[in-house]
Amino acid sequence: MARSVEEIDREIKQTDEELLPVADHERHGAKHFLGLYTAEHVAGTEFVFGATFVILGAGIYDILIGLVIGNTLAILSFWLITTPIARGARVSLYRYLDMIGGDAVSKLYNAANTIIFGAIAAAMITVSATAVRRVVGFPAQTEGYPTHIGFIVLAVILAAVTVLVVAFGFNALAEFATICGPWLMVMFTAGGLVLLPALAESVTGVTTIDGWGEFVDIAGATVFTGITPEGEPGIGLWEVAGFAWAANVLTHFALIDMAWLRYAKKNIYGLCTATGMMFGHYVAWISAGFMGAATAAITLQSITVLAPGDVAWYALGWAGYITVIVGGWTTANACLYRAGLAAQGVFPSMPRWKTTLIVGIGVIVAACFPFVYRNFLPLVTYAGVALVPIGGVIFAEHHLFHRMGLTKYWSRFKGVVNYPAIITWGLSLAFAVGIDTLGFPYYYLFLPTWAFSIGVYLFLARRAGAGGDFTEEQKEEDLWNERALLAKERAAEERPPVEVRDTTTLSRALRAIWIVTCLVMLTYSFIVLFDSPDIFTYLQHRETWYTIAITGTVIYFGTAYWELQRGKQIAKRAEREHRAEEGQKDEDQSEDAKVNA
Amino acid sequence: MQTVRRVVAAGSALAVLAGTASCGGGDSSGQGDQTLTIAAVNNADLDRLRDLNQNFLDQHSGVNIEWVSQSENELRETVSTDVGTEGGRFDVVTVGTFEAQIWAEEGLLEPLTDMPDGFEAGAFVPSIRKALTPQDEMLAAPFYGESSFTMYRTDLFKEAGVEMPDQPTWSFIIDAAKKISEETSADGICLRGKPGWGENMGFVTAMAHSYSARWFDEDWRAQLDSDAWLEATADYLELAEYAPSTVTRNGYQENLKLFQDGECGIWVDATIAASSVTDSEESSVADSVDFAPAPGAGENGSSNWLWAWSLAIPSGSEHKDLAKEYVAWATSAEYIELAASEYGWANVPAGARSDLYENSKYTDAAPFADLVQQSIDSADPTKPTSEPVPYEGIQYVNVAAFQSIGNAVGQQMTDAISGEISGEQALENSQWVADRVIERVRLLEDQQGSD
Repeated sequence: MARSVEEIDREIKQTDEELLPVADHERHGAKHFLGLYTAEHVAGTEFVFGATFVILGAGIYDILIGLVIGNTLAILSFWLITTPIARGARVSLYRYLDMIGGDAVSKLYNAANTIIFGAIAAAMITVSATAVRRVVGFPAQTEGYPTHIGFIVLAVILAAVTVLVVAFGFNALAEFATICGPWLMVMFTAGGLVLLPALAESVTGVTTIDGWGEFVDIAGATVFTGITPEGEPGIGLWEVAGFAWAANVLTHFALIDMAWLRYAKKNIYGLCTATGMMFGHYVAWISAGFMGAATAAITLQSITVLAPGDVAWYALGWAGYITVIVGGWTTANACLYRAGLAAQGVFPSMPRWKTTLIVGIGVIVAACFPFVYRNFLPLVTYAGVALVPIGGVIFAEHHLFHRMGLTKYWSRFKGVVNYPAIITWGLSLAFAVGIDTLGFPYYYLFLPTWAFSIGVYLFLARRAGAGGDFTEEQKEEDLWNERALLAKERAAEERPPVEVRDTTTLSRALRAIWIVTCLVMLTYSFIVLFDSPDIFTYLQHRETWYTIAITGTVIYFGTAYWELQRGKQIAKRAEREHRAEEGQKDEDQSEDAKVNA
Repeated sequence: MQTVRRVVAAGSALAVLAGTASCGGGDSSGQGDQTLTIAAVNNADLDRLRDLNQNFLDQHSGVNIEWVSQSENELRETVSTDVGTEGGRFDVVTVGTFEAQIWAEEGLLEPLTDMPDGFEAGAFVPSIRKALTPQDEMLAAPFYGESSFTMYRTDLFKEAGVEMPDQPTWSFIIDAAKKISEETSADGICLRGKPGWGENMGFVTAMAHSYSARWFDEDWRAQLDSDAWLEATADYLELAEYAPSTVTRNGYQENLKLFQDGECGIWVDATIAASSVTDSEESSVADSVDFAPAPGAGENGSSNWLWAWSLAIPSGSEHKDLAKEYVAWATSAEYIELAASEYGWANVPAGARSDLYENSKYTDAAPFADLVQQSIDSADPTKPTSEPVPYEGIQYVNVAAFQSIGNAVGQQMTDAISGEISGEQALENSQWVADRVIERVRLLEDQQGSD
C-alpha cells in the first residue's frame, strides 16, 4: 500500500542527512573540486612511485606519453561515467547501491569498501609515520609488524588525529584539502627540479643538463631505464597508460567518487579531477621518480628500498618531512571519509561520524603495521578489479534499464534479494580471473570485467523480473525524492545559506602572501636547476633551497590558514547579521499584526 | 544472510586466486643451461678477463656468460639497483673497495663462504683482504689491487741534477718538479687536477692525510679549515705550477698519456700505471722510468693509497654456486698463468695475490713489482692519518656522500689551480660544503644507528 505524504515526510525527517539526495543549493563550483582532487592525489605514496617505475622497467617516453594517455582516460572516466551518475542519483554510491542492490548487496559491498578504504587510509598514515619517526628517532620498521613501541605510539597519534578530522565531516575535510593543494603541487614540482642536477652529475659528471636529449639520456640511465632490475624488458607505453588509468578504477568506474561528485553543479566539473590526475599522477609521479633516483645515487642505494621520508629529506629538507606527512594525511582523510560512508551503508541507523570513529579504530590498529603500506599497490589494483562489477551493475540500472524496458530499483520494489547483482559480481570476478590467467593485460582487466558485469546483469535482472510493472512503486520513489529535496529546500529557505565573499584587505593580503610564497619557492627551485654550473654552486643553492622551503612552508600554512579562518568568521558574522535582520523583520510583522488586530 | 556469507567466501577465494595468478612470475632457473651474468667496469684488466672467459666455459659445460661492461659511474648506478633490490639480474659484479664497504654494511653482498676448491683467500694481499672482510666475513675477492707510488724520469732527474731519495717527501717532490721545469724541456710533474672525488680528490685526500689532515673528526665535524689542510693544499697548488698547462683537465688517463709521451718528469699515481709506462710499445720513455715510494710529509707517513677492483656476488643472485666457481677461477693462480700466456706477465692483474710477487716470471717482467707490493702492504685504510678519524679510506672517505662532497671540493681545488680563487678560499668553501652535506647525511645515519 502506498505511503502518504505525511508518512514520507516523517521518514525523511528521521533519515540521516548524508543519506538524503543532494539539493541544488548544496552543490559546489569547480574550485572546490580542483583543490580536493589535488590534495588527495598528491600524497606521500607518490614518493614510492619512482621505485614502481624501476621495478616495472618503464622507459622515459613510455612514461611521458603513457601517463598522459592513462590519466586522460581517467579524467574522461570521471567526467563521462562517474559524474553523470553521481549528479543524477544525488546520493553517494553506498546509498545508491543500497537502493539498487538491496540490503545484501549493499552490506557486502560496503563491508568490502570499508576494509579497502580503511586499509588505504592506514597505509597513508603509516607512510607519514615513516617520515616522522626520523624526526623523533624511532628505528626503521623493517618488518611487516611494528617492532618499536614508539612507532606504535606515533602511528596511533597520527591516526587518531586523522579520525577526528574526518569525523567533523566533508566541509572540514575539503577546507583542509584546499589549503594543502597548492603547497603540495609546489613541493612535488620543486623537489624533482632541485635534485635533477644531482642526478645529472651522478650520470654525466656535471650538474648541468644540456637540452632535452641529455635529459632523456639521464632519465633513461637512472630511473626510466626500460628494463627491470632483473634485466628483462620493462613495460611499454600502453601498460603505463593502463596503470595510470587503473590506479583510480575504484573511484571512477567503480563509482566511489559519487560521494564527492554528487555535489558538482555541472557534469563538466568531472574534469576538475584533472588536477589530481595530471598533477598528482603525472607531474608528481615523474618528479618522485627523479627524486628517488637522485637520492639513490647520493646514498648508493637502490631506489626501491628508499623510504619516502629519506627521499623527501634530500629533496626538500625539513619541508620534505612535512610534505610526506601532509601528503599522506590528506589522502588518509579522504579515504577514511569514504570508509566511514561505507560503514554507514552497513549500519544506516548510525550517524556518519559514529561509523567513522568505529572504522577509525580499525585504521588506527592497521596503521601500526607496515605490511599494509608495503602491499599498497597490489591492494588498490586488485580492489579496483574486485569492485568494478558493482560499478557495472549501477551503470546498467542508471543508464540502461529505462532504455530496455526495465525498472531501476526493481529488486527493492519487488521486495526480493537482488541475487542477479550478487551472481553478477561473482561471475565477473571469475571472468576477471579467467582472462587474467589467459594473459589479458593486467592493467586493463577492469574494462572487460565492467562490460561483462553490465551484460550479465542486464540478462539476469530481466530474468528475475526487472521488466515488471512497478508504476506505483516508482511513483512513490519519485515522491520520496521530491519530498526530500523539498524538505532540504524549505530548510534552506528558513535558514538560507548566506553567500559572502571575503574581500577584506587583510584577507587579500594574506592570500597574496601565500601565493607569492609558493611562487618564490617554485622560482628558486628553477634557479637551483638552471643556475648550478658546478657541484659546489649546486650544493650552495640546495642548502639555500632547504631554508627557503621550510620558511616558505611555515609562512604558507600560517597565512593560508589565517585567511581560511577569516573567511569563516566573516561568513558566520554575515549569517548572524542576516538572522538578526530576519528576526527583527519577524518581530515587526508580529507587532504590525497585533496593532492591526 | 547465509547466502551472503557464501558469496563472500566464494568472492574471497576468487580474489585470492586472482592475486596468485597475477602475481605469479615463474622461476625458470634450474632447467637446462645456466647463464652467468657479470657486470664489470670497463678497464683493460677486466676486458682481458672477459676475453679469457672461454677457459672457464670449457671447464663448465652448459654454462653461458653474459657480460655487461660499463664505466665506473654507470656501473655504480646499475649495480646499486640490482644489489639494493636483490633483483637477481647479476650474478657477479665488480665492486671497488669504496662501494664494497658501503654495501657490506647493508648486507647486500653474499659472503664468500663455502667456496669451491681452488679459492685461496689466504693468497690475497693481506691489506686488501682486510678491506674486503668487514666483520670477519669476506664479501668480495680482489681481482686486482693497487696502491700509489712515485714514477719518475731518470734522464730528466740527471739533467736537472736531482737524486731521488729512498723515501721522498712532498717538499722534495716540489723542489724536484721545480728544478725539472726550470732545467729541462719537460714539465716538472704530471698532476691530477681534473675535478672529481675519484680524480684530483683521490690524490689530494691521500696527500692531505699524509700531512696528518683529516676530513672529519670523531664527531663528524669537517676539518678542512685545519692548518694541516692549509699546508697540504698550499703544496698541492705549488705542484700544479710545475704541471702541464692542461692540468685542470688532467685525470689519471690524461696523465698516463702525458707521461708516456715524455711530457713530465714525475708522476705520483696508481701503481697500475707502472706496466704501461714501462711498456715500450706504449711509452716513449719506457727505458727511462724508475720508481720510488709515494711521498710523505716527513714523520707522518706516506701517502700511498689502497684500491682494488673486486668480484662480489649480490645477495639476489640465483646462481650463487656457479658465481662462486667463477670468482674462484678469476682470482686464482691458474687465471694469472692464463693471462700471462696470452698477454705477457707484465699485463697480468696485479696487486691482488701475494704469491704473484714471489713468481720470478712476474718480477722479471715487472721490475717495479717489489715496490708495488710494499706500497700495497703498507697501506692501511683503517688508519689513513695520524689523527683519529671516524672513517676508513686513504684516498676517499667511505661514506656514500663523499661522492658529492669530493666532487664539490675537487671543483674548488681546480678553481684554485686556475687562479679563480685562492687556496684559503677553496678550503673555506670546502669546509662549508663538507660540513653541510655530512650534517644532512649524519642526521639520517644517526637515526639508522638507533635501529
